[in-house]
Formats: sequence, structure tokens, C-alpha cells
Amino acid sequence: MSQSAEVAADFKDALQDLKQNSRPEISNLTLIAKENTEYAQAISRELENHIRTTRPEWKLPALYVLDSIVKNVGTPYTVYLGRDLYRTFMNAYTLMDPGTRKAMEGLLKTWKQPVPESMDTRPVFSPEVTQDIENALIKFRTIANQGMPQKPPMQHNIPGRPMPNVPWRSTPTPPQNAGRYAAANDPRIRQPVPQAAPYGQYPPSSTPPVQSQPHAPFYPPQPKPIDVEGLKTSLSAVITSTQKEWAHTPGDQALPNKLNALFGLQQILNTQTLPPDQLQQVAKQIQNMSPPAPPAPPAPPAPFPPSTTVLPVSAPFPPSSVPPPFPNSSTPVDLAQLFAHARPPVPPVPTPTPPSIPPSLAEMLQRFSSGASSSAPPVSVSPFYSPPFSAAPPPVSVPAPPTPVAAPPINPAADLARILGQFSKPAAAPPAMPPQPAPLVHLPFQGSSTPAPAIDTQWLSNLLKTVPSVATQPTPISSQPMSRQVSANANNPNYVELTTASIKQPRPHLISKLYDAYPNICATCGRRFESTQEGRERKARHMDWHFKVKDPDVAKRGIHRSWYISEKEWIEYREVDEASPEQVAKAASGIATAPKKVAKDKYIHVPTDTALVNAPCPICQEKFEPQWHVEANDFVWMDAVKINSKIYHATCWEEYSRGSSLAAPSTPDSVLGKRKAEDNPGSGKKVRAY
Amino acid sequence: MVSLPGLHLTATALEPANPAETTQTRSQDLLPCSEYRFEVPFTRSLTIRLLSGTAEFFGTELAPSSTYAFTGTKGAVYTWRGCRLEIGGLAESEYTSEETQMSSYANAHFALEGLRDRSMQTGEPGPRVLVVGPENAGKTSVVRILTAYAVKSGRQPVVVNLDPRQGMLSVPGSFTAAAFSSIVDVEDGWGSSPISGPSPIPVKMPLVYHYGLASAEDGATFKPLVTRMALAVTSRLEEDVPSRQAGFIIDTPGSVSQGKGGDYDHIDHIISEFSVSVLFVLGSERLYSDLSRKYSSRSHDEAVAVIRLDKSGGCVDRDEAYMKQLRQAQIRAYFFGHGDHTLAPHSHMADYDELNIFRVFDPASDPNAAFRPGNDDDDIFGTSTTIYEKVKPSTMIQNSLLAITMASANEPQEVIRDTSIQGYIYVADVDDVKKKVRLLSPQPGQTPSNALILGSFPEDLPGLVS
Repeated sequence: MSQSAEVAADFKDALQDLKQNSRPEISNLTLIAKENTEYAQAISRELENHIRTTRPEWKLPALYVLDSIVKNVGTPYTVYLGRDLYRTFMNAYTLMDPGTRKAMEGLLKTWKQPVPESMDTRPVFSPEVTQDIENALIKFRTIANQGMPQKPPMQHNIPGRPMPNVPWRSTPTPPQNAGRYAAANDPRIRQPVPQAAPYGQYPPSSTPPVQSQPHAPFYPPQPKPIDVEGLKTSLSAVITSTQKEWAHTPGDQALPNKLNALFGLQQILNTQTLPPDQLQQVAKQIQNMSPPAPPAPPAPPAPFPPSTTVLPVSAPFPPSSVPPPFPNSSTPVDLAQLFAHARPPVPPVPTPTPPSIPPSLAEMLQRFSSGASSSAPPVSVSPFYSPPFSAAPPPVSVPAPPTPVAAPPINPAADLARILGQFSKPAAAPPAMPPQPAPLVHLPFQGSSTPAPAIDTQWLSNLLKTVPSVATQPTPISSQPMSRQVSANANNPNYVELTTASIKQPRPHLISKLYDAYPNICATCGRRFESTQEGRERKARHMDWHFKVKDPDVAKRGIHRSWYISEKEWIEYREVDEASPEQVAKAASGIATAPKKVAKDKYIHVPTDTALVNAPCPICQEKFEPQWHVEANDFVWMDAVKINSKIYHATCWEEYSRGSSLAAPSTPDSVLGKRKAEDNPGSGKKVRAY
Repeated sequence: MVSLPGLHLTATALEPANPAETTQTRSQDLLPCSEYRFEVPFTRSLTIRLLSGTAEFFGTELAPSSTYAFTGTKGAVYTWRGCRLEIGGLAESEYTSEETQMSSYANAHFALEGLRDRSMQTGEPGPRVLVVGPENAGKTSVVRILTAYAVKSGRQPVVVNLDPRQGMLSVPGSFTAAAFSSIVDVEDGWGSSPISGPSPIPVKMPLVYHYGLASAEDGATFKPLVTRMALAVTSRLEEDVPSRQAGFIIDTPGSVSQGKGGDYDHIDHIISEFSVSVLFVLGSERLYSDLSRKYSSRSHDEAVAVIRLDKSGGCVDRDEAYMKQLRQAQIRAYFFGHGDHTLAPHSHMADYDELNIFRVFDPASDPNAAFRPGNDDDDIFGTSTTIYEKVKPSTMIQNSLLAITMASANEPQEVIRDTSIQGYIYVADVDDVKKKVRLLSPQPGQTPSNALILGSFPEDLPGLVS
């Protein structure tokens, strides 16, 4: 018991340090929990206590730890944590600010579903547990709603979104619209940063090439003069806060860059007069960079459904639906384009597409795993599925209309959770939203905190580069995305000619292709991922893989070097990327076709015990043939099971045990722990009680 | 072993070997585009942790929350954008330098990326890269950087090591090829070949041939093995689309670049067998001029782009003592694993007549072999029957390393030569009286009856099992 107390104390210590959403920290905590399942009760108690007692702003990260543990480790934590989940959750919920509540509702939503990409179809927590909370939440919201006007001024409640009075906020675009568009262009598409602006507030420029068109039917935008002074003030506020941030986290390499960019921007603002639409852009960006909402929670290391959200909504639409009614006037376009790089490329263009019901999560997941996108309704998987790793960032798609919007009006307060849930579905059609949900909604799904500033920086430096020359560069709208694609022509600054002279020229700008193109770094091994939807999924799978290989039993098992494979095997061998979706696809198809292990597909690793190695199957007296098993990365005996320290042919044993009316010794499917997709059927060694 | 904050289980705490050194850490700031170069002997350990910024070790980025421990390494941590490192332990020598060749190496990578993109569009094979240069010019470092960058860019290049002096994913004396789809290990050279358990860094699946001699100029088996390797790699690339697009990168021993009177026989052979399209020449002006004269004039179809890369100032001469320790460390790692990831090899006895040992003719030790006719002739090597000499186990083989081929002992010698190997066993003990040998094998089980190749390189390693 003393050891239990010790582990619990260590866990508590680690929890104390968790003051923001740091994915590595949460991963570590999950790992601790995973490696100490025997002390699950003590750890669960610590976690509950911590969530109850810690300061409100630190509760959410702790809840993410809880979430990560139940999804990645599963039982027995689900049992211990489930017991008191209602209290834990509601206590925290009542103390939270509305923004964080959203995130919590998002969590709750995922708890009602199976672990993403898991073979287990049961929800994370049993429905009784979640239903109680759900009921309480409905009650809570009803009460809260009664005291509030129809449109609660949510944005004022969001911490860290200051300056609500700054002029550009008062664009005529009504908030109702805002929410809607925000949904259509889920900001997570390309930017995991919470500061993405709702699209309804997309700066109405004087010559709006793209975005004003869509607004037209609803709310014609009116250019508003920008208060440059106010802008400067807020810019310095941003700078100050960034400096503070830097002082606190000197380790964040992106911050100095960001600061530099900010100073550059300040310089420009002080020295140049920018056209109003550019000011709008700048203003918006600054506003978004203002100290963000509550500490952004990292994605739980498990594959999480929300991450599937970020599909470029644009692609399926025929280009013809993009109305290019405006001549490509020079000024606004560039900035708009730039803007598009930093954030979802899709300007809000309502199209006559019929409203679509958001497909269910399961459907979407399946669609993902099968890779089939053709049947997908209006919004579907697309550009991301082309070369997944091309050196350039995924093509910024041609501005195309986003998804339809004609969703029925919904009582904004009553159904937040549902709406939230829709966000967490891939390519969900945007429902009508209460004002301002977007920046909040994607909070829980943000990756580690580092990528965020990186993007800012990139955007800003892009902006800085372009601003002075903007007037002289009439870039056609479509050319921008094109130039982002890699093409080996000499005009392309990315092209390096293969000659000794050319190789010697320094090209510092290219280095960003190694770093900023993949802003999402794995803290454990340094592998980088794109900040796209797909990148996040890959990273989630990658993190799962890290968990998987952290095997506490390794030392006991006596691992050894495997034999090298033969020429023929090597030629036919294909590398397995732990982050590639194929594994999931395999697992998914495995579920479909073979829910139970077929006896002859069972295998065990060739035993290390010499007595066993040479022992034949006690039933048929035949010897076992070792063969290479790619998935297990080892030589295995196929069609073998180990029963009471003897090894039998699985088929022999099955026959035998059936004959003697014994229960067939089927290896239990994920009793504990391992609830991950990679846990394919057919991998006997992975079934192990933690 | 990843350190878990809060549990106080840092990697440094786990190294009782030199606690006095590792308990003290210092921080080291690096300016953008500079590198921290260090040499750590095999007897010590140096830990590096990235505190802020970004940094890379031969192209592989250091993870922000991991502590890396280096032993017996001469390496450099480079930063493009500045960083702060936390360094623990004592290096033999260490300094920072702002004069590096990283910019041109990165350009080389981006030039290759252009070719890879073109390959994706056209379907033609990706860049086929050969890196040549004198000893200690940094060839392997460049290959590692190019590989790491390619992997980082989402490619899956095949890396071919033809340098017997140091093994890649295997022991020295071997030739290996492996496709890299996952990050290159930082602490452990190229990483690890598959083991029976999980590995914290994805393992790489190598194809291994045994050469068994120290230098490419020695012996008659270099060229046939290059041919064989080229065949295997080319076949793999036929079908493996990601690898075909990424192409391959060949690392070579310095000895092929010495040339005799401007004649670079082995380089020619490698270029023609692998259809090399890009040739990076490191360091040597003369080599560059000789090779570019020779290959730049070729017709368009088989044109080879010859590019000169400067030798990095960080390259240090590795003396024979260090190389020997490096070889021993690699052999040790093959059986016992690296660092915290220990492996459990198996020891068992075998009768003399169970072993079919073929010894590689080493012209260096066998003066008669040098006079064999047709030794240098391409056409002859296929028909020669005296590649190996069958030897009976004796105390001579004690402490040596035997390569287990995939061929049976009855096969012709050419077949044995051309076959890839399954692994290595180490002769721990020879009992001439009982006619038995004690073998150390990475895996349990019987000693295979396959042909075993005994090379003169790597040299005997006494006391691997003690």
C-alpha cells in the first residue's frame, strides 16, 4: 500500500505541474497511469481530488488527463473514474467560464462514443454515467438560458478576447451569421490556433473579390474605417503579452520569431498608410493573437474524433461555383490570399446545396479508414489525400464555396452540446450557431501549443514580405494556390538546381520546409507532422504507437535480435509507418471481416525457452515452423497457442477442446488497456493484462 | 527511456556508471546556423537535452523533451534557428562553430526533393545518389543528413551502405540496404534492425550481405556483392512506389575514392550497377575533377550530375583505435542491444561437424591469393571457385564472428557469396578436445546448417561473452 501511496504522490506532483494544455505532459501523465494500473484506484482518486481542488483555469487540463487516461488506458480507470464522474464533472463545470464549458461538453460528447479507432464499440463511459451528466447539463443550461437574452454575449465572456469595442469588431455582419460561417470554415482546417476569427467577421474589404459575394444575399458588408490608433494600441498589447509569454516560456522557439514579426508589423503601421482592407486583415490577425482564451487543451493522445473535422470543405465543389465576378484588382487580393494561407482557405460562400445532415462519426471514421471519399455528401475528403507528404504544405485550395448553411434555427443555448458534437464530426455541415462558438469549439482539439505561434509567425512574416509590394503585384486569385504547389521550374524559389554552384548558395528560406511545414512535433522522438487534419491524425496514431512500444514487460520477456530477412522477403517488404492510416484501415477491415480470431491466424513468438523451442505440438506431434511475421516484427509460430506452458497448434487445440467440451481458449479481446486500433486481430502477444 | 517529469526518473539518474559527471549539467546557447561539436569516448557518456529552439543531430531533429545520451560518438548538434542545450557529462573535446556546410547539404537535399517531386509526377525513378570521398570526409554524415531530411519530408529513401569499415544497422564488414520511413536514431548510429520486442525508435528492416574484409580494394567479392545488392535494391524499387520516388543514397568506403591513376574502378562499377544519377563528391578537389570530367560528358540518358560538396570543418580523423572500439560497440550492440534497450542473446554448444565454415580469402593475409589470375576482371569473378576456403573449426576461429548465410553448405561458392545473410553468431569458445564450440547467437534454437562465412574483418573480438 505504501507503494501505492508513493505512486499516487508522484502522480499528484506531476499533476500539480499541469497548468496548461501541454500535450507532452498529458501524455506523460497518461503513461504513468498506464504503467501503474495496479494502483489505478489511488491514481484515480488523486486525479479526482486534483480536478476538484485545483484552480478553475487548471481544471480543464486535468480533465484532459482524465480523458486521455480513460481513452488510452481504459479499464480499470473507467471504472474508478466513472464512479464519481458526475461529481467530478459537474463540480468543475459549474466553476468554469463558458468557453471552457464548451470544451467540457465536447469531452462529454466523446465519452458517449466508443474510443475513436478502437475495436471496442462500447462508449468510453457507460451511458448511465454520461446520461446523468447530460441531464444535469440540460437543466443547467435551461436555467442559465432563462436569465439571458436570446443571444448571450458570449464573446464578452471569453477570457483573453479583449477589446470588444475595437471598431472592426463592429462590422455590420451580424453575429448569427458569424457563427454560421465559422462553422462552415472550421478554423481548424489549417490552423489549430484558437484565434481564428469567425468568418462572419471576415473583413469586408472595399473590393471584395471573394468573400463579400457570399455575404451579399444575407448581409451586405459595409467597409468600415479602421481605427489605426486603436489598432496600434492593441498591437502593442499583443506585443506586451507575447513578451510576457516569452519571459515565462523562454523555451518556446517560436515566440522570438513571432515577436520579430510583430515588431515588423508595428513598424509598418507606424510608417505606412495601408489600404483599409489590409488594415482589416491586420486588425483581425492582431485581434486573434490577443491573449487567447483559456489555456488551450491539447488533443488527447488517443485518436480523437474531433481531429477528423478538418476537411477542406471546398474541394468537392465545381470551380464554377466560385463566382469570380470581380476583376483581379491588385490590392485586396494579395492579402486575402495571404490570409488564406494562414487560415482556412475557404471564404464563406453559401451555395444552394441542400442542407446535409452531418454524417455520423462512425460513418466518417469508416470513410476515413476506407479512404473512399467519392460517396461522401457535399463535403468530402479531398486534397489532403493526394500526396500526403509532399514537401509543400497541402495545396491551399482555390477559394470555393463552403458547405451549405440552411440549417434550421436552433435554440442556441439549449443544444450547444449537439452543435459541438457536430463540430467534432468530419466535414459536418455547419448548423446555425449562436454567436462566437467557433473559437471555443476547437479548443479541445488543438495540438501542442508550439505550432500555434509558428503559424502566426509564418503568417505575419508573409504579410510583412508582401505588404510593401502589394500594390505592384496583381496576383490572380488562382495563381496563389498554384504557386504553392511544388513544381520544378526555375522560377520557383524552392527549386534548387543540381549543380555545385547552385548548391553553395545559401537559401535560408527553404529551411522552413523542414520545420514550419510540419509544425506539429512529437515531443518524444522529434518527428514532425503537418498541422493539417491529416497531420493531426497521423500524430495521434504516432503517439499511440509510442504508447504501444512503451512496454513495461519488455525486460521480463528477454527480447533478442531478430534474424535478417532474405533477399526475396526484403524486396517484397514494405515499410510500415506507424502513423499511416493503413493500419487503421486494416484494423477496420479486420473488424468487418473477422471479428474473432481464426484459429490458424493465431501465433506466438518463437519461445525463448529451449525446451519449448524443440517441443512438438503435444496433440499432433508435429514441430512448429518459425516464420517471419511482419506485424509482430519477429519470427513467430503461426497457428500456435500457449496453454498452461505448453504450446499447441491452435487448430489442434480448438478441435481438442471442442471435443472435450471445454471452452475454446479464445484469447480475450482487449479486456484491459489496449483499446487501440493497431491492436489488430491476429496479434496474440498484445493481449496482456496491465 | 524517456524521462517522466514528476516521477524524477530522468535518464541521467539511471546511469550509475559515472554519476559524478552526469549530475552536473550546464546549458549551452547556440546561435542560429551554428553547431556544437563534441567527441565522447566510449568510456564516458554525454547527455544532451534541448531546452529551447530547434536543433538537429545529423539532420534528425532533437525532441524537445528527451534527453539523449551519447557514448563513443563524434558528433555535432546543429541549429538553424538557434537553441539552448542542456549538456551533462564530460566530453573529450567540445566547441561550437559557426562555419558549417549545412547550408549546402540542405540545398543538396532540396535539389533531390525537386527530383523526387518530378518522379512523383512522371513516374520515373527518383534520384539515385552516390556519395564518395576520402576517408573521414564526412560521407556517412552527409548520407545521414540527406536521409534524415528526406524522411522528415515524408520520403522513404533506401540507404545502401557499402562501407565495411562501419556497419549500418548491422555489424562492420557487412553491406546493408534499408528503406528509411521512420526517423533515424540519434543515439545509436542508424538505429536498430528488428528485435523481438518493441523498440522506442522504429526499427529498420535491412538486407544484409557479408563482405568480411576491411577494404573494398581487397578481395574478389566486392564487385559481385555490389552487383547483387544493386539487383535487390532495383527490384525492390520496381514495386515499392514510395521508395522509388525517394530513390536511394549510397554510402561508400573511402578506399574506393583513392583510385589508381585517375581510374576509379569501383566507383564506375557502383555507378553502372545502380544507375547512379547524382554523384556527390566530398572534399577532394582532384576526385571531383576526375569524376566530373568522366561523367559530365555522358549522353543524356545516363547523365550523372556530379556535385562537389565541401567537407565539413567538423570532420575529425578517426584513428584506428577509435574505429576498433566503434566496431566492437557495433558488434556488441548486435547481440546485446544499445543503451537501455538490452537484448538477450543465447549461448549454446555445437559440434564441430555441425558447422560449415567458409573463410574469405583475404589477399592481405594470404599472399597467394593476390596472384590468382583474373582477380580484377569483371568477367572472371563469376566463374572463380576459390572465393572461399572451407575450414574446419579450430581454435583459430575463437572470438570470431560468423555470418549465417541463407544458402546451404552444398551450394556453389558463387551462390554462397551472393546470398544475403540471416545474422551473425559469435564463437565464444572452442573445445578442441571435445570437438565442440560454444556459440553466442542472437536467437535461441539450433545452429543452422547453412553455410557460415568467416571473414578477416571485423577482427576477433575477445571477451564479448565473459
